[in-house]
Amino acid sequence: MMENNGNKIPDVTVVSLNSSAYPSLLKSISNPPRKLYCRGDLSLLQMPAVAVVGARKASEYGKWAAYNMGKTLAEYGIVIISGMACGIDSWAHKGALAAGGKTIAVFGCGVDICYPKSNAGLMEDIIMKGLVISEFESGMHPSIITFPLRNRIISGLSLATVVVEAGLKSGSLITAERAAEQGRYVYAVPGNIDRVSSIGANKLIQDGASLIVSPDDVASDLGFIRGDIIEKRSLSLGEDEKLIFDAIRFSGELTVDELCAKTCLPPQDVNGLVTVLEMKGILETAMGRVFTAK
Amino acid sequence: MNAYIIKSIGLAGLNGFDVIVETSITNGLPAFVIVGLPDNSVQESRERVRAVIKNLGYEFPMRRILVNLAPADTRKEGSIYDLPIALAVLIASGQITPAAEDSVFAGELSLDGKLRPVAGMLPMALSARDSGAKALFAPKDSAAEASLARGLAVYAADHISEIIDHLNGAGEICPAEECQPLFSEAKGLDFSDIKGQAAARRAIEIAVSGAHNMLLSGTAGGGKSMMVKRIPSILPPMTMEEMIETTAIHSVAGLTSKSNPLVRQRPFRSPHHTISAAGAAGGGKTPKPGEMSLSHNGVLFLDEFPEFRRDVLESLRQPMEDGYVTITRANRSYKYPSGFMLVGAMNPCKCGWHGHPSGKCVCSEESIKNYMMRISGPILDRIDLFVNVPPVKYAELTSVSEAETSEKIRDRVVRTRELQMSRQGTTNSRLMGGLMKTYCGISREGELMMKSAYEKFSLSARAYSKIIKVARTIADMSGSPDIETEHLAEAIQYRRSGTLLV
Ligand SMILES: [Zn+2]
Repeated sequence: MMENNGNKIPDVTVVSLNSSAYPSLLKSISNPPRKLYCRGDLSLLQMPAVAVVGARKASEYGKWAAYNMGKTLAEYGIVIISGMACGIDSWAHKGALAAGGKTIAVFGCGVDICYPKSNAGLMEDIIMKGLVISEFESGMHPSIITFPLRNRIISGLSLATVVVEAGLKSGSLITAERAAEQGRYVYAVPGNIDRVSSIGANKLIQDGASLIVSPDDVASDLGFIRGDIIEKRSLSLGEDEKLIFDAIRFSGELTVDELCAKTCLPPQDVNGLVTVLEMKGILETAMGRVFTAK
Repeated sequence: MNAYIIKSIGLAGLNGFDVIVETSITNGLPAFVIVGLPDNSVQESRERVRAVIKNLGYEFPMRRILVNLAPADTRKEGSIYDLPIALAVLIASGQITPAAEDSVFAGELSLDGKLRPVAGMLPMALSARDSGAKALFAPKDSAAEASLARGLAVYAADHISEIIDHLNGAGEICPAEECQPLFSEAKGLDFSDIKGQAAARRAIEIAVSGAHNMLLSGTAGGGKSMMVKRIPSILPPMTMEEMIETTAIHSVAGLTSKSNPLVRQRPFRSPHHTISAAGAAGGGKTPKPGEMSLSHNGVLFLDEFPEFRRDVLESLRQPMEDGYVTITRANRSYKYPSGFMLVGAMNPCKCGWHGHPSGKCVCSEESIKNYMMRISGPILDRIDLFVNVPPVKYAELTSVSEAETSEKIRDRVVRTRELQMSRQGTTNSRLMGGLMKTYCGISREGELMMKSAYEKFSLSARAYSKIIKVARTIADMSGSPDIETEHLAEAIQYRRSGTLLV
């Protein structure tokens, strides 16, 4: 446990694979961790999330891009997931926190150990306003084995993984690879071709990752709408319609059954309301799933 | 000239018709001739009749025997004329007492004179009764079925000698008891076994309530077939008329049981996807009813819907629209009732996992699209409800909350069906033209909603009327005399998922 500030820092909570608090997206990967050691707000595990990862040695452009990715996506209500490493990871967390949004740091060591040490302040911020998790027990130190393992959790928790800046050997390329294996979207921020630090991300684009033109791309591809637009849309809605709309925008996408469970409405009402919201251009459906219109 | 007339019956498709067996015995070179469009199976009757008469100890007349089957322009088939021909020969040669004029005879003979059952007995008995016959002499194994034709005395015999004794007054056959229908409760798999799936359960209840066609789509192992197999447990009981109609079809197909022939429960047929077009629609020289007709008044379940042969899927069009299939043969066409409720189930792609959160699907986008395209637009147009069955989450499988029993659902279905029958004499899915105008009026508000749905979702004209009919059923389920906008909104959602298939 962290010794400073006494009882204010949350204790470690263990979430096991069969717990309802265990994130369902992570459960669906081929080798989900059996236990998650968590410090912070556990409800973040149920929210839609996007990973923003990249090199430890970041250029000014990379820092700017990571910070803005984190900030913009957080404004859509998306949780930013990263590894709290130096460079890109840290800036992505900072961007999310600056927007007053939520962020999760996934550790390659016990959640009581701050690595790198220089990030102690950021770690405290994330625990207080977000969540720190790891599959490793407290006291476990990071190693050359734990980091690649950690990367599958970062991508596994996320609907999409964004690689901001990466050299040819960056660990973030492993995260992108895991994301692709897990059937998740992979995005990359393009960089200047005269820099070594751009090669990894640019090569990802060459291999089929989606190129990011603006940070909003990721959010709109996933069907999210900015908070201010949501407010405007909500105004015109009836009480039950708002219930449905809120359930969807806090979850990304849901089946009708899940909507029934979340809103406590019977399927006949939910189906009717979804039709009306579709006709108002607020929701869309496909393959039995309901999500917000773009 | 010794001429004698005895009555029998014939079968053309699902309908019986009267047959007069006219026999004359004249002097001349010994001969035994059957005329009046008999097919080969009837011609063979001569050999069996000759053997039976000799084996019984009677004399086979060594003169010219002419048997004419009237009406002469209708083809006669099968071994059913063995009994009337044998009796006619014996009567015309003065060896036994003639039968009463309102008696009808039908049955195949074995060489020692035993009577064998015949297929299609129920529709033949019904037709004999309707054209004025009072008594039917039939093989014992067909008697239970024949006696379903109320008002016709059925004299059942194991052997031709019993009938001869009865005619001669040497012994008496008692008419068979009228078959009493037992109204048994539907049994079997129960909906209370299904955890979760509230939306799919609701859609199935709507479909069954209005006899609407439905298509369920979902990843492998999501429980689609599990739910569909429980549909029989919520089907409303058949009326006596429907039971007779259904039994007649099964009878012609030779599928009725000897002792308990009446089909009491609505059929639930689930042919394999390798079935041929003949097996599905009906086939053979004289076509036998296929799966589509055998599911008349019940459910036709096609699992792995896109895997069915293209010609089979296309042959669904006519019955889904009109409620019968027409099979054309060289000399005539046969019309078999096929008023089934179609339930299709399909995976979203060839491998079955498209859309599953595990990302297991290995299909290309192209192949997914092609898989959906296997079902043609005209077929999709005839389906009223499209339902996506999402994979059940572990939490729902282990949930302790009690799911509703089939009995409760069935009670509601029965009430909703009765409402439709008493109002319009048919199910909502079969409302056409004028009836639809009369009973499916929608308010101005509803019309506005339909108009905007029409534009937003680019619905076809057929989809439009399907939505209204489903909305009618939803309104009936909630006991509402008028179709309200919320009923339309729900109905549109079931149509929506269908547009994604093409
Ligand atoms: Zn597939």
